[in-house]
Amino acid sequence: MKVSFPYMGTTVVYKKLLELLGHEVIVPPKPSQRTINLGVKYSPEFACFPLKVIMGSYIEAIEKGAEVIITSGGHGPCRAGFYEKVHSKILQAENHDVEFIVFDSMFRNFKGFFRNIYRIKQNNSWYKVSQSLLFVYNMIKKLDILEKEVETIRAYEIRKGETTRAWEKIQDLFDKASTKKELEGAFNKGTQLLREIKQEKVHDSNKIRIGIVGEIYVVMEASINMKIEEILGSLGAEVERSQYLSQWINYNVTPKFINRTHEMEILKKGEKYIPIPIGGHAKQTVGHIVDFNERGFDGVIHLMPFACLPELVSQSIIPKITEELGIPVLTLAIDEQAGTANSLTRIEAFLDLIQGKKSKKIS
Amino acid sequence: MQEIYLGIDVGSVSTNIIAIDDKNKVVHSQYIRTNGQPLDSVKNGLKELKKNLPQDMKVRGVGTTGSGRQLIGVMVGADVVKNEITAHATATSQLVPNVKTIFEIGGQDSKIIIIEDQMVVDFAMNTVCAAGTGSFLDHQAERLGVPIEKFGDLALTAERDVRIAGRCTVFAESDMIAKQQFGFSKAEIIKGLCEALVRNYINNLGRGKKLEPPFVFQGGVAANKGIKAAFEKEINEEVIIPKHYNIMGALGSAILAKEHLEANGNPTSFRGFEAADLDFVPSTFECGDCSNKCEVIKVELNKEVVAMWGDRCGKWVGSL
Ligand code: SF4
Ligand code: SF4
Repeated sequence: MKVSFPYMGTTVVYKKLLELLGHEVIVPPKPSQRTINLGVKYSPEFACFPLKVIMGSYIEAIEKGAEVIITSGGHGPCRAGFYEKVHSKILQAENHDVEFIVFDSMFRNFKGFFRNIYRIKQNNSWYKVSQSLLFVYNMIKKLDILEKEVETIRAYEIRKGETTRAWEKIQDLFDKASTKKELEGAFNKGTQLLREIKQEKVHDSNKIRIGIVGEIYVVMEASINMKIEEILGSLGAEVERSQYLSQWINYNVTPKFINRTHEMEILKKGEKYIPIPIGGHAKQTVGHIVDFNERGFDGVIHLMPFACLPELVSQSIIPKITEELGIPVLTLAIDEQAGTANSLTRIEAFLDLIQGKKSKKIS
Repeated sequence: MQEIYLGIDVGSVSTNIIAIDDKNKVVHSQYIRTNGQPLDSVKNGLKELKKNLPQDMKVRGVGTTGSGRQLIGVMVGADVVKNEITAHATATSQLVPNVKTIFEIGGQDSKIIIIEDQMVVDFAMNTVCAAGTGSFLDHQAERLGVPIEKFGDLALTAERDVRIAGRCTVFAESDMIAKQQFGFSKAEIIKGLCEALVRNYINNLGRGKKLEPPFVFQGGVAANKGIKAAFEKEINEEVIIPKHYNIMGALGSAILAKEHLEANGNPTSFRGFEAADLDFVPSTFECGDCSNKCEVIKVELNKEVVAMWGDRCGKWVGSL
């Protein structure tokens, strides 16, 4: 069977896992204007933006021949809880014949989780499955390490665009690796590629570090967030996201009672501002703002998908956090017409504000 | 010999070109309607400016701002290309050093900027909703058959208060017609409209912000006394309108250019007033190399590409 998955962030890793298990993998095209248009056309008007983009992405995957879509189940109370239901209903109505395999956290639904594993396991031995999982997990960790470096180096590169090109090459290298040794090789080659990038020397006190927080999909998927990391990098700011795949996995595969992951800490830091779970990543958003502040970041950019209720709540709390902690936060709404020119004006002004705060002067 | 710095603010409705001396004093300013032709309007503006300046002056630097800042920056050889928010705030803290809150309402957009110790600490910008901008007023003035210049004075003569729903232009319009039928005078309706616009503005842009005096009101709409009065009523504080309220963006960018060059000691990259005679050809094309189909903007000078932008992947920007 031809399997596909929602496009988000460094897709090589999902592809790799499924390939190792012997599936024919259809990688959906990177979300483009066409994807968004398709998604908007077939989704309910008032659905949140990620739901629409993912809808478009599924349609494009089906066009390329996908028969099965593997996705992770979100949970309520926000719309993430019924993503798969809405998507499969719409696809059915449009006469697309696809099957969904939805992975819920194995602690929420143990039986369902293993039933799903069985289905994608095919004839592989359990040994092979666990080896593949381990391999991909290592790959994710290594990619995340390199990506974090990319996000720093980009701010100081002398030849514009060099870091981004290197990062694309690195993902290609990882895509070609299937053994432990090859993975090691890809990592070393990647490290070297990044080391070769010529950087401007900037005094530590003049460095600007920006955290990016918000709903996971718009934070992770560059093609729909105006490539916010690249924009910030080109304006000379280092960035760090609130979400990385490896953290997400650590958090989601660790049972609650021994869960000491970074994410647990983050949730605790946000507790004061949003005490109850309201869905999505609102609690993480406020927690990460507190965390970025504690770690000495200069500012935070908050990405809020259009029609996302949880992030609307966090947006309304942000002024209070800024008032208490002093860290500047810029909220950008992300939707199908996110006017890049206007957003750029805001981002530039925001960086000026931060620079001004550092040097005690407007520009 | 007089040394001057130029500031150019290219918006979608109007273009302002100004010259300041080394004490930040405005020597001359030029207002041109953009009419969708930013290059031509700046060329004309430069020619006019040159005529009006003493022969022996020397341009030491130039800054651009506004939505056309990049394009015009390439054309004139700008030393500083800055966003509107920073440019406006720079000018205001120069003219009103203790300012804390800036209200800016232009023809197509509006902003609020919060300042502490002459530093921007927060801002918001409205670019989607027309109900909070000058074009809303222009439109209503036309409907009522009152020239926009008289709008504000007329509002001040109103005897009664009337509340007009101003959440959105369409609602405001129908509500306005209804109120007219109730027998409210034109002056009262206009006052109501001014208050609706201000309420809207404060609700949209001021949400979650600490609005503290001194308040400065600038942008083209600041000429409107009715709006000033409505602001003062809404926030219960005096609102200052700076002398150069309608050229603040250009003023700010000239100051920024001056400060920038003073700080690093470099000579200006200004192409000279002859830039007005150079043949810059902007064009757009749709890149078909991936499904994003970006509308890429290209500027050529003597058949040579001097700038490109608008691509999402950076392949064109990076190709220069
Ligand atoms: S968090 Fe927001 S964007 Fe994500 S599913 Fe929930 S409502 Fe939609
Ligand atoms: S400019 Fe880049 S992103 Fe835009 S259509 Fe061409 S290849 Fe695609």
